[in-house]
Amino acid sequence: MNSFTIETLEAAPDEIYDIELEHSLLEANAKLSRDNRALLDRHGIVAIDFMGAIGSGKTTLITRLVEKLKTGVAVFNGDATTGADADAIAKQGVPVVQIATVNGCHLDANLVGKALRKIDLGGLKLIFIENIGNLICPAEFPLGSKARVVVVSVTEGPWMVRKHPHMFLGAAIVVINKTDLAEAMEVSVEELANDVHKLKPDIRVIPTSCKTGAGLDEVTAALLAV
Amino acid sequence: MHELSIATAIVESVLEFVEKKGASKVLAIRLAVGELSCVEPEQLRFCISSITEETPMENSALEIEKIDAEVLCPHCSYSGRPKYWEDALSSGPVATLQCPQCGKAAQASQGEDCCIRTIKYVA
Repeated sequence: MNSFTIETLEAAPDEIYDIELEHSLLEANAKLSRDNRALLDRHGIVAIDFMGAIGSGKTTLITRLVEKLKTGVAVFNGDATTGADADAIAKQGVPVVQIATVNGCHLDANLVGKALRKIDLGGLKLIFIENIGNLICPAEFPLGSKARVVVVSVTEGPWMVRKHPHMFLGAAIVVINKTDLAEAMEVSVEELANDVHKLKPDIRVIPTSCKTGAGLDEVTAALLAV
Repeated sequence: MHELSIATAIVESVLEFVEKKGASKVLAIRLAVGELSCVEPEQLRFCISSITEETPMENSALEIEKIDAEVLCPHCSYSGRPKYWEDALSSGPVATLQCPQCGKAAQASQGEDCCIRTIKYVA
């Protein structure tokens, strides 16, 4: 046995305390996310959190959306190590903050709060926050965004929704990307959409192709209506 | 590995608590992990034991209790256990936010959190 048992026997009953704590471990991040949201609300800014696997097309989708919106938008780009995605988006001439998590597997509200203090919030209407390419960890950490978008692509195969149900439960919009490759991949966009609706029937599912431009106007309109 | 972030939050909270109480040794902590949280209890256990060596928490007992998921439906006022997706490929049924009564979108009302329930320590 470990020393824990010995300690218990040695301690007199009036020396052992059993304290009810009910201390939430997610609350510290949740509080910071509410602070971020309050700051954004004061400036009339809507933040949208984009989640999805590496290679699902988050950066390309955001770049296309920024091209359509042109002004009033800033992008926070979460990446474990590189600035490649931030550089790609910055070419559009909008404010970009790269958030390097180093070895962290998700963005958290503290990092987003720091990024919010790095840019001039005046004149902004939208902030797109690109989360780390990971479909498990970011689900647990709200950032202060008004809506979450999950990007899946047909090249990830037919089971992406079933494999990562938690990620979809908190999403307002699911973008099914790279539909131009659906036939070649033999992946059904309809079945992916059905899987999303089995998890939560009111999620807006929008099929897109950043290559042909299909669905991008619909995504833009949906984000402006959030 | 967000379990490590959560384990760090647990250990920091417990150590801060025992320091404030002037406790010499933590005997046990009891955690509650929601069914809808993405926290994997065994990974969490491993992460906690890895970072508590040579602290008052070393070798303390760790009990992890599961909090069941519950949903509330704004459409038909259903309140209770969620609908499960039985054949979704995963090892067990997957809790969904589809109302088991009317089929429309429900909201999670319990089971999303992860918390420290109790701490047992020696003064």
